[in-house]
Amino acid sequence: MSLSTDQFGVSSLPIDEIENGTSVLLTGEDTETLKTVFARLVAADEDERSIVLATNSGGRSVRRLLDDARAGAGSRSSILTAEGPGRDDDVTAIEDIGDLTQVGMQFSSLVASSQQSTARFRSGIFLCSTIASEVEDTRSVYRFLNTNFLTEIRRGDGIGVVAIDASADLGTDVDSMIAGMERSFNARIDVDKTGYNEATLDISGIPGHEGTVDISL
Amino acid sequence: MSRTVLCIDTEDRISAVSSAVESEEDLSAITATSVDDAIDRLETEPVVGVVTAYALTDGTGMEVISAVREQTPQTPVVLFTDVSPAEIDTASFEELVVEYLNRDLPDAHDRLGFIINDVIDHSAQVGFLTPDDEDERLEALEQYDIEELPIEESFDRITDLIAAQFDVAVAFIGLIEEDEENFLACTGADWDSLTREDTMCTHSMLQEDVMVVEDIADDKRFNKNEQLENLGIVSYAGANMTSSDGHVIGQVCVLDHESRTYSPEERHRLEQFADTAMEILELRQAVRENRSVEVQQ
Repeated sequence: MSLSTDQFGVSSLPIDEIENGTSVLLTGEDTETLKTVFARLVAADEDERSIVLATNSGGRSVRRLLDDARAGAGSRSSILTAEGPGRDDDVTAIEDIGDLTQVGMQFSSLVASSQQSTARFRSGIFLCSTIASEVEDTRSVYRFLNTNFLTEIRRGDGIGVVAIDASADLGTDVDSMIAGMERSFNARIDVDKTGYNEATLDISGIPGHEGTVDISL
Repeated sequence: MSRTVLCIDTEDRISAVSSAVESEEDLSAITATSVDDAIDRLETEPVVGVVTAYALTDGTGMEVISAVREQTPQTPVVLFTDVSPAEIDTASFEELVVEYLNRDLPDAHDRLGFIINDVIDHSAQVGFLTPDDEDERLEALEQYDIEELPIEESFDRITDLIAAQFDVAVAFIGLIEEDEENFLACTGADWDSLTREDTMCTHSMLQEDVMVVEDIADDKRFNKNEQLENLGIVSYAGANMTSSDGHVIGQVCVLDHESRTYSPEERHRLEQFADTAMEILELRQAVRENRSVEVQQ
């Protein structure tokens, strides 16, 4: 159960809770480590639903990842995937991740559908850097984030996590882009893999949890 | 003040759509029932938002959205339709990005009024990110009586000095408003304002330090921006003008028509110019406010 109606509890991370309406920018250079932390943030509790846009993983893989982060979270998720087929009502395939008009409509539609049954949601994009590398004009990525992601968090009862692989070639100054996004999101978590099964999180913008903290993967 | 929303749908549905929009206080609707009609209205009527169906008699709503993005890219659009996203042909419209609202939802018409109002109020579909203190930043910017302050000559002198110091084609001081950047002084070009999502400053203002783009051809944030290309901009460096209460309200920038780098010393110097411009603005504002108090006494 969530700790309170305005907060979202986080499993398996040293973060007690994240306030409703918070947007989190999650960055790092090791994709697998990033994926694990992403899943722990986005995995839905019993009275919530996860809505995940997965650019590099299939629906089954995302569900498994969410289940690993929180028991049963996979079955409380709606997944939009650019990898592999759509499987059932809760896994929708998209053909072209660079078609942000289509992706945005599908994503908004999933959020709206999930809210018909469950108001509280955790939305996530893994990886936004893949989207940025696919589109021609980065302004489209910002328009997509504003229109179909940040707006849903602002209006609804939810939190959102956008993951960026900082080592990706995005055809831009990645540090400058991330610095800009950091000012626009409420919180940032930078993930640094420090050893086998270990990582350090550098957290800002989540009250009570500012600074660095070591975690087990 | 009433704000006008363009609603586009077929003859048998348009009145339900315009009624939903007009149920919101301060919104009024104008209508069109075809793509051609809608594009005509966009060219002649100032609208703050657009609601369009997908299936229209002479084409699709995507053509309308394409026209909106071309003419006024920051205007928000809601696609209000009972056609599912998967059935919508977006192949030729991949980077338009709009809000999709399923007309079949039980409370769809109630939602439509709320959503169009919300996207207009929050400029929710712009192609740039805003700082998380954007509302407070705009309030801080409003505190300056820019039109009334005698800053023009001082700022012209500063941009002349900057252009000479850095040996660049253009130097300017710009304030970043909600929807556009207004240039207070500009040496080397004759610019008044630029739509915010076309500016590099709206990116630069999000960075604490000086943002340098050595060659915009190598940067996907800018290399598809026709405005920048038309202005002949190749390289850019921008420093923040930060108000005394900590909000970035503008930029002091240098541009060149060729690729170039900026050393740490040059970046620091640009920041010093930005601090100087900010000081002048604050001092002029303080003098004006003191005079106003004296007159009242």
